[in-house]
Amino acid sequence: MSYFNRASKAIQVANRIYRFSLNHHYNLGLPYFASNEHGFCSNSRNSNRRDDNNVIDLSQYPTDKIRNFSIIAHVDHGKSTLADRLLELTGTIKRGHGQPQYLDKLQVERERGITVKAQTATMFYNYELEDSNTSYLLNLVDTPGHVDFSYEVSRSLAACQGALLVVDAAQGVQAQTVANFYLAFESNLAIIPVINKIDQPTADPDRVKAQLKSMFDLDTSDVLLTSAKTGQGLEHVLPAVIERIPPPPGKSDSNLRMFLLDSYYDEYKGVICHVAVVDGCLRKGDKITSAATSQSYEVLDVGIMHPELRPTGFLLTGQVGYMVSGMRSTKEARVGDTLFHSRTTVEPLPGFKPAKHMVFSGLYPADGSDFEGLNHAIERLTCNDASVSVARESSTALGLGFRCGFLGLLHMDVFHQRLEQEYGTHIISTVPTVPYIFEYSDGSKVEVQNPAAFTANPKIRVVASWEPTVLATIIIPSEYVGAVINLCSERRGEQIEYSFIDTQRAFMKYRLPLREIVVDFYNELKSITSGYASFDYEDSEYVASDVVKLDILLNGQPVDAMATIVHKLKAQRVGRELVEKLKKYIDRQMFEITIQAAIDSKVIARETISAMRKNVLAKCYGGDVTRKKKLLEKQKEGKKRMKRVGSVDIPQEAFHAILKVS
Amino acid sequence: MTCECAGIERKKADCERVEGANNLINVFGFFDRGDDFADCIEYFTISALFSFVFLLCFFAAVHETSEDDPRISNYIQILIREIEATQTHFDQHPPLQTIFFGGGTPSLVPPRLVAKVLETLRSKFGLCLDAEISMEMDPGTFDAKKLKELMGLGVNRVSLGVQAFQEELLKACGRAHGLEEVHEAIEIVGSCGVENWSMDLISSLPNQTQEMWEESLRLTIEAKPTHVSVYDLQIEKDTKFGSLYTPGEFPLPSDTQSAKFYRMASRKLAEANYNHYEVSSYSKNGFECKHNYTYWINKPFYAFGLGSASYINGTRYSRPKKLKDYTTYVQNLEGGLVDIQEDDVDEGEMAMDIVMLSLRTSKGLELKSFREDFGSAVAVELCKVYEPYMKSGHVAFLDYRRREITEDEFSSLVLDDEKLENEIGFIRLSDPDGFLLSNELISLAFGVMDP
Repeated sequence: MSYFNRASKAIQVANRIYRFSLNHHYNLGLPYFASNEHGFCSNSRNSNRRDDNNVIDLSQYPTDKIRNFSIIAHVDHGKSTLADRLLELTGTIKRGHGQPQYLDKLQVERERGITVKAQTATMFYNYELEDSNTSYLLNLVDTPGHVDFSYEVSRSLAACQGALLVVDAAQGVQAQTVANFYLAFESNLAIIPVINKIDQPTADPDRVKAQLKSMFDLDTSDVLLTSAKTGQGLEHVLPAVIERIPPPPGKSDSNLRMFLLDSYYDEYKGVICHVAVVDGCLRKGDKITSAATSQSYEVLDVGIMHPELRPTGFLLTGQVGYMVSGMRSTKEARVGDTLFHSRTTVEPLPGFKPAKHMVFSGLYPADGSDFEGLNHAIERLTCNDASVSVARESSTALGLGFRCGFLGLLHMDVFHQRLEQEYGTHIISTVPTVPYIFEYSDGSKVEVQNPAAFTANPKIRVVASWEPTVLATIIIPSEYVGAVINLCSERRGEQIEYSFIDTQRAFMKYRLPLREIVVDFYNELKSITSGYASFDYEDSEYVASDVVKLDILLNGQPVDAMATIVHKLKAQRVGRELVEKLKKYIDRQMFEITIQAAIDSKVIARETISAMRKNVLAKCYGGDVTRKKKLLEKQKEGKKRMKRVGSVDIPQEAFHAILKVS
Repeated sequence: MTCECAGIERKKADCERVEGANNLINVFGFFDRGDDFADCIEYFTISALFSFVFLLCFFAAVHETSEDDPRISNYIQILIREIEATQTHFDQHPPLQTIFFGGGTPSLVPPRLVAKVLETLRSKFGLCLDAEISMEMDPGTFDAKKLKELMGLGVNRVSLGVQAFQEELLKACGRAHGLEEVHEAIEIVGSCGVENWSMDLISSLPNQTQEMWEESLRLTIEAKPTHVSVYDLQIEKDTKFGSLYTPGEFPLPSDTQSAKFYRMASRKLAEANYNHYEVSSYSKNGFECKHNYTYWINKPFYAFGLGSASYINGTRYSRPKKLKDYTTYVQNLEGGLVDIQEDDVDEGEMAMDIVMLSLRTSKGLELKSFREDFGSAVAVELCKVYEPYMKSGHVAFLDYRRREITEDEFSSLVLDDEKLENEIGFIRLSDPDGFLLSNELISLAFGVMDP
């Protein structure tokens, strides 16, 4: 979706400037751990005071010397940079040596400035209090920030006792700040508000403080003011973590219970799980069982992320690290699962839910013959992202492909991008759809994830239909309120709440059909608010809705991959937009082509592309033969890349273009 | 391409080998094919076009004062060296049947130099008594005396590069000749008694209107040539011409308009008893250009001269387009350093050549010999891929007696592959609908042959 792209572009620019300033102007100016910074290289073991002999003894850290926390923020408010600074401050990475956004390992994360996969990092910190000097073990659990991953976020937060709520000093509270605050609040986390980027000329910390007070009832005297860029105020962050966040509450004398935070697939080691030990202790060689799958494994390796894999042989109560077991695929590693010692019985930790797929789209190889290539890429990628559901499907227009279910839009977009970036595949994606529920006259109900598969059965009537909705949070400068209300009502939204954060910013809550925000809502919102709107949403209930299937026909033949389900009131407009778009992208062919949009068999929009007039080369003598043949072969190759329905050749761009029609 | 290579000096000699029943007959065409004005646009760039025109004017001036421009004689010298250095690869050298002087303006070459070239060819390869010897001639570059001299040397077919009958179009497309020269040239060709001559026209020129095209066709028919070539202007991308004009956009006629021009030519010339025997070629009965026809039935031919292309033993070879490179090439040829006559003929390539070339003719693709050479499977697939286009009127299937097979007949044939290949004698594109979309249709066939 282009709106994410747009956001990511801005972030890239910001990062570039930032890196520059890092090298030239950054001066931490802190007494803390200058002596710790020696010999770090991102691939080798870093050294610091506690592991001069390359051995880390975790037994020095009972739960009262442990703090587990995460950083939550709206996109681009400085979460990753703050994390970098904390890792540098503690000597976990050497300043200026690790790549910026250290914990965002995927290319897509770095490009877009978002976090998709949870990561953990263990830091050691000497806390000086009244002359005594105590070493603390700090675990930073980096969580995805986007609502698509709200389940993953809630699981990550469940492993923490506190969170740094980072807010940009100029932008103030934004939609994702609100969403993340409530997630943290519901997890009973101690919240340390941090107003970041106070070095900006437009910074207005007092206004942001007032917002935090009015929105979240946070005490303004608790707020830390920082600039991760200049280092200002950073010295107060880790002491605050130790003082204000409680130690993990687990019982070290109980049976082992640990949370599975996330997992990834490593070429050499296999599945690596990020885990948090809640109770008891985990040792290498232990036999463990999953509460979700009942499968048992042997622990082959265990350790901490410091910042890369660092074997320790065990993890004690309250500690966070990694574990390698014999899991063959990340599909076995369910986020939020409870793992325990095989012979014991424990109460599983609360909150485990299987992934819920909200957005579906068909993925097909752009080159129809490369199904195997796509298959392979999807298999490999789902090794690393088990939250995607994959089922084979086939389309008359696009051939063999897959119907994939995603947690949300960003998730879908990230999956597409990773397929292209990490596996070099070229795909055609069908218009994303949401799962609708239809009820027939005989009382049966079906969930439809693929519009093409939903065929009207003349014997049984559809008597009712439901569509999923979301609760959207929109925060905007007050002058844009009118435009945003218009947009939301055009998108069939229902206003739930409308208030003001302060004199300049309005806060609105809408119930919107998910279908209406799937394609270009955020783009549109950004454009009508000159980029000032922030937007977030959470899943809400299904509501009854009068939806119909809209078919696209080329010369009378339905194109399955272009069918969509739309609200009856919008069908006419969407149908017209689709046929107009297609007319632009389908080239003249030897026949006249009619493009129609139809509901059931009733045509609601129609365009024609007149037949090609001429395509002929006048001359073909001695020297022309080779040249002409090359030209015709090129033309043949062009045809091969097209998708064919009946006698009509459809260029790939046509499929991409209709994605943009709402 | 530099100025030197512009058409004027380009001479090619093509030689063709026709395979008879059990013995080989060599038919040679000495020619510098087709690089007249339109070709220059097509092949090279507008820079070539302008430099070409510049040279043309220059030579035109020279022509009036001196017959011995050293650049022409030097070039002919190299050309003759190439002919002499060429290995014939045949045990015997049966006489040449066609010769074509084309490219640029061969009519600027002094007849005595033409005589030298012909003499070299005759002594190297022999020349049939009734050989077709064609020359491209541009209005304003020859008079009756010169034409008579050339005819005395054996030139018996003239391809007259008229292009248009409107002063403004001639000027706009950079021709050196004006309307007056056009009428003069037609007059000369008539008075000299050339029995076989072709009028070359270009359609879809910038600012050309339907009335102008109608007029050109009418005047052409009135001049009574035995052959007419109608070239639809081709604009190549990445050329200056291509950057000046976009095909289908003003001042060029729209696609619809230029398709109309094509249809009009097809209709008017048919009414005047010309056969539309190839996409761009029309002739009176028995006056098809024998030389060009050899290309279209995929027979081998020799070629000599700057940028010319030969086709021998299944290998196409294009000579360098720059005079300097060409000179080096001839030197290497003399030193025995060039070996262009290779024997690895790719069957698939050959099949594609045959389909492409024969579908451009009104005779069409002869299915029986194609099947014998390349197999039944491909032949059957070809028929099948064209089925929808038979229904749309772009393609016709003929039986062995060249009777058109009806849709109903085809529907029953298509059920049985064996019947299909046995009953269908020819596949041809319809005139004008099929010809107009020949690129589309041929690339469909390519898709079947080389998926």
